[in-house]
Amino acid sequence: MKIPKDRVRFNVGGRIFETTSTTLANAGRNSFFGALFSENWSLKQPNSDSFSNCEFFIDRNPDCFSVLLDLLRTGDLNIPTNVPERNLYREASFYGLLDHVRSAKWGQFDGNRLRHSRSVTGRAPGDGTAIRAGPDGGCCVAHGSVVHVYDWIMEEHPPLNLDYQRVNDVAWVDSENIIISACERLGRGDGGMGLFSKSTGELRYKFQVCHENQVKSFTAGALCTSSDFKIFSSCKGRSNEYGIGVWDQVTGKQIDFFYESPGWSLGDADKLQWLNGSNCLLVATLFPRKDNCYISMLDFRDKRMVWSWSDFGAPITVDEKRVRDTIAMEDSNAICVVNEYEDLGFMDLRMNGGSVKWSSRSRMMKGKLSDEPCYPKLALHGGQLFSSMDDCISVFCGPDWVLTSRLRRDYGGSICDFSIGGDRLFALHSEENVFDVWETPPPPIS
Amino acid sequence: MSNQKKRNFQIDAFKHRVVVDPKYADKTWKILEHAIHEIYNHNASGLSFEELYRNAYNMVLHKFGEKLYNGLVATMTSHLKEISKSTEAAQGDSFLEELNRKWNDHNKALQMIRDILMYMDRTYIPSVHKTPVHELGLNLWRDTIIHSIKIQARLQNTLLELVHRERTGEVIDRGLMRNIVKMLMDLGSSVYQEDFEKPFLEVSAEFYSCESQKFIECCDCGDYLKKAEKRLNEEIERVTHYLDSKSEVKITNVVEKEMIANHMLRLVHMENSGLVNMLLDDKFEDLGRMYNLFRRVPDGLSTIREVMTSHLRETGKQLVTDPERLKDPVEFVQCLLDEKDKYDSIISNAFNNDKTFQNALNSSFEYFINLNARSPEFISLFVDDKLRKGLKGVSEEDVEIILDKVMMLFRYLQEKDVFEKYYKQHLAKRLLSGKTVSDDAERSLIVKLKTECGYQFTSKLEGMFTDMKTSQDTMQGFYASHPELGDGPTLVVQVLTTGSWPTQPGVTCNLPAEMSALCEKFRSYYLGTHTGRRLSWQTNMGTADIKAMFGKGQKHELNVSTYQMCVLMLFNNADRLGYKEIEQATEIPTADLKRCLQSMACVKGKNVLRKEPMSKDIGEEDAFFVNDKFTSKFYKVKIGTVVAQKESEPEKQETRQRVEEDRKPQIEAAIVRIMKSRRVLDHNNIIAEVTKQLQSRFLANPTEIKKRIESLIERDFLERDSVDRKLYRYLA
Repeated sequence: MKIPKDRVRFNVGGRIFETTSTTLANAGRNSFFGALFSENWSLKQPNSDSFSNCEFFIDRNPDCFSVLLDLLRTGDLNIPTNVPERNLYREASFYGLLDHVRSAKWGQFDGNRLRHSRSVTGRAPGDGTAIRAGPDGGCCVAHGSVVHVYDWIMEEHPPLNLDYQRVNDVAWVDSENIIISACERLGRGDGGMGLFSKSTGELRYKFQVCHENQVKSFTAGALCTSSDFKIFSSCKGRSNEYGIGVWDQVTGKQIDFFYESPGWSLGDADKLQWLNGSNCLLVATLFPRKDNCYISMLDFRDKRMVWSWSDFGAPITVDEKRVRDTIAMEDSNAICVVNEYEDLGFMDLRMNGGSVKWSSRSRMMKGKLSDEPCYPKLALHGGQLFSSMDDCISVFCGPDWVLTSRLRRDYGGSICDFSIGGDRLFALHSEENVFDVWETPPPPIS
Repeated sequence: MSNQKKRNFQIDAFKHRVVVDPKYADKTWKILEHAIHEIYNHNASGLSFEELYRNAYNMVLHKFGEKLYNGLVATMTSHLKEISKSTEAAQGDSFLEELNRKWNDHNKALQMIRDILMYMDRTYIPSVHKTPVHELGLNLWRDTIIHSIKIQARLQNTLLELVHRERTGEVIDRGLMRNIVKMLMDLGSSVYQEDFEKPFLEVSAEFYSCESQKFIECCDCGDYLKKAEKRLNEEIERVTHYLDSKSEVKITNVVEKEMIANHMLRLVHMENSGLVNMLLDDKFEDLGRMYNLFRRVPDGLSTIREVMTSHLRETGKQLVTDPERLKDPVEFVQCLLDEKDKYDSIISNAFNNDKTFQNALNSSFEYFINLNARSPEFISLFVDDKLRKGLKGVSEEDVEIILDKVMMLFRYLQEKDVFEKYYKQHLAKRLLSGKTVSDDAERSLIVKLKTECGYQFTSKLEGMFTDMKTSQDTMQGFYASHPELGDGPTLVVQVLTTGSWPTQPGVTCNLPAEMSALCEKFRSYYLGTHTGRRLSWQTNMGTADIKAMFGKGQKHELNVSTYQMCVLMLFNNADRLGYKEIEQATEIPTADLKRCLQSMACVKGKNVLRKEPMSKDIGEEDAFFVNDKFTSKFYKVKIGTVVAQKESEPEKQETRQRVEEDRKPQIEAAIVRIMKSRRVLDHNNIIAEVTKQLQSRFLANPTEIKKRIESLIERDFLERDSVDRKLYRYLA
């Protein structure tokens, strides 16, 4: 039998492995194997006879090598019980294969196929404020005045804080950088927003707000980033300078400010959402932060509120229709809202001043509110709508938003926040300091 | 493989991992440092990648990332300093080659170093926000070599010198140039821009400023443009060969500015070779080149356009006001068409069919055609000429082309109603005399006029065609119902609808008895079939064929007008007749009678009458005889009336007056239409709107509009506002 020309023999920590350079090419140029086989390192292609006797020694763990070699061969990750995950990740990191492992570990996000992968317990006291999924499978959790950061392996990095001020919101700028918005402390010019390095936890930049060419201290609220490298935040200044501030992600400089007009609310906003298609920012201030709800869409180019809705002046009888969270769905030109009974309501984005059309779908929750209720939250991902209520997350699909899945864990109490990103869903519980990681399993073998 | 020995050493180091050896980091770094040296010294074949990679990995793992990074910077910098020295030492032309060779070496070494330090590059560097290895290598190369005092200026001068040599015709090593420029671009766009592009553009501007000065002194416009085009293409080619493609716009801008924009006016107005000369001599190639070059600079095309327009207006004005030209309307229009053809082909061949140029051409024509008030008449005459005889033997497509061209001139006319008036007259003459060559061509033109000006414009013209057709049927019916008329004089009547034809009312004459009897028969036949109509004879428009016998028994058939026929018939009963007698007998209007006598007595070859005395003009005391000595080679003799083809001065005045009269109701109608919808309008706006509405027919005169408004006020259609006298109100 003729030996394939590209056959390679390794001695890894004393164990012999045979494979082909074709298999190893799956590792890519920016990996140990990619460099090893590059022409610079003049790894001669010996003649078949002498080649079969020639082996490359690698001073590493053979068990892990075996798993990783299999990953390069099949694209599937199978970790035997005798290999600790951490060891495997370390070895993968040595070979430059960590990205391969991560993308093999879980599949492309699908709300209807999610499996609970693990729960992570934290040590921080009190209720969590927010959880935010990072772009590469990690997440960060805001607790009081500290933000805990986890990478996709769920290893914790140094926690972040902005002068230990109460954190209002966190957001990922990219997989390496996180912004925190915090309350201003009376008498000191602290608060505002800071940009942190994920891996070291150091404060890299502090954002400023200027009013009439003067730097003013401020309380930053909800955060949001846009694909054209902007950062938005709701801002409350000391001298009634309320509104939405805009910064450039690259320079960190403030580039715009949308001032709140009388009778409307922007600076107190609970939620900001950038809408790529219409080049607008959705700003929502909701009950119970204010007595009324104010939802608006801002066009910064001509400083215009292009769409707005409020329940101001609505009759008291519709108290149960109080909007608790909202999300814009550009693909269906609608704004979805949710009340405290998890009823979904919809409004047409193209028509200003319309009213909410409530769907009478989910009354099953009514009457069994828990003692310490968590108000519903909404998220949209890949055409699927997610809504959290108590200890459960519902998944809605299709043009009529039919309930298709329910995610529930018995431990930890109500879900106070959840977030989707990096093909994972993170749900933060309010009773116990724990968050769940949900992910889609890799696709079936055939 | 030679890693057997080193592996032993490595295992040694590994043992000490537990108890951290204070020298561990130094030892490991020494191995890596040695490897970097070997790589730079082209001695890497003895190195073990696995060992080096593992060592670098371990250093980072054991928190010696910073030591590793700093060591790398120091080692690489020292190597680059050596390279810098050896490059500086290179003599003359070998400088660039040496630099290029070292650059390639450095790139290869950088890649290998990055391979070894891959783990640091991936984990340590991002976490401490340092510069990644590859970028670091480029930055060090830039700072230690390209920006070293002894190299920076030399490199720049060498590159610019090479470009200059190439511009002056030498052949240079473009591959080397490309590599060096590529190196500058790899080091960052700012390095390329600052160290090469900016000085390159400055030097180029200077070079082309001098060169263009030299060229413009000694070349004519065409040659200059050729040279500029060549230079421009050379620069574009240079960019594709060895510069950054983003430089193309910048360097072409320099050439455009120095060679074209700065000399634009001088080029256009260059004596004996400028734009006007190119236009006169149809130099399509030069014009095309000028267009393509000038298009690249601001105001370039507008400069060409302005010069072309003013030249065109000037020549056009000369053409339409040249009294020589006015003598022959057909020639006049042909000249206009030729001029249009000439510029059309210039615009399509040289000016890329540019819409703005076409518009300029159109507006110029519109300008000068309307300078001559007789243009509408002449265009109609041109059509008349073509449709009478000019189209014989011409294919249908060519006919269409000629008609289309005429329509184009028609579009330029402001006084389209004047054209209509003349066209009607000329068409009537053609139809009645049966002179029209092609019915299809006639109808085709009518269709064109209809699409251009609407149904209203051509309805009367179409009525004329209908009348012709109906008359034919009527004549057949008449002769069918009167079979006894087979052998008498034949009468052909064309019944013309009043209003459709340019008829003159009330002009009539005494017909010979035979004819008037026949006419009476027709009248009773016609009125019998069409009750409620009135027939009146337009004797001034008819023709007759009569047989005549002269002395020596010569027989001829004479083709004459109805008036001439009336006169000649008198001579059946008399040999001699005085002018007064003829006038009395026929009652032909004086002017017409004189003209018809003149044509029969004074024109050589057609003189069927003899006059006493033998003067040119007709006097009231003249006497007329049959000219027995009349001879002709032909059996049929056509005796034309002496008619001026063009209108005479009083006729012109008359037509003019008729046109003015016809305009009045149109202006009034427009005013009423506008006021009906607007109710209240001020004077200036009403003038503007009326002018706009009537534009497709004629250019309304504001004074005339004002008169019409006043007339409408008198007739209570409008009133002035009692407060603001400039406002008019519509009275329902």
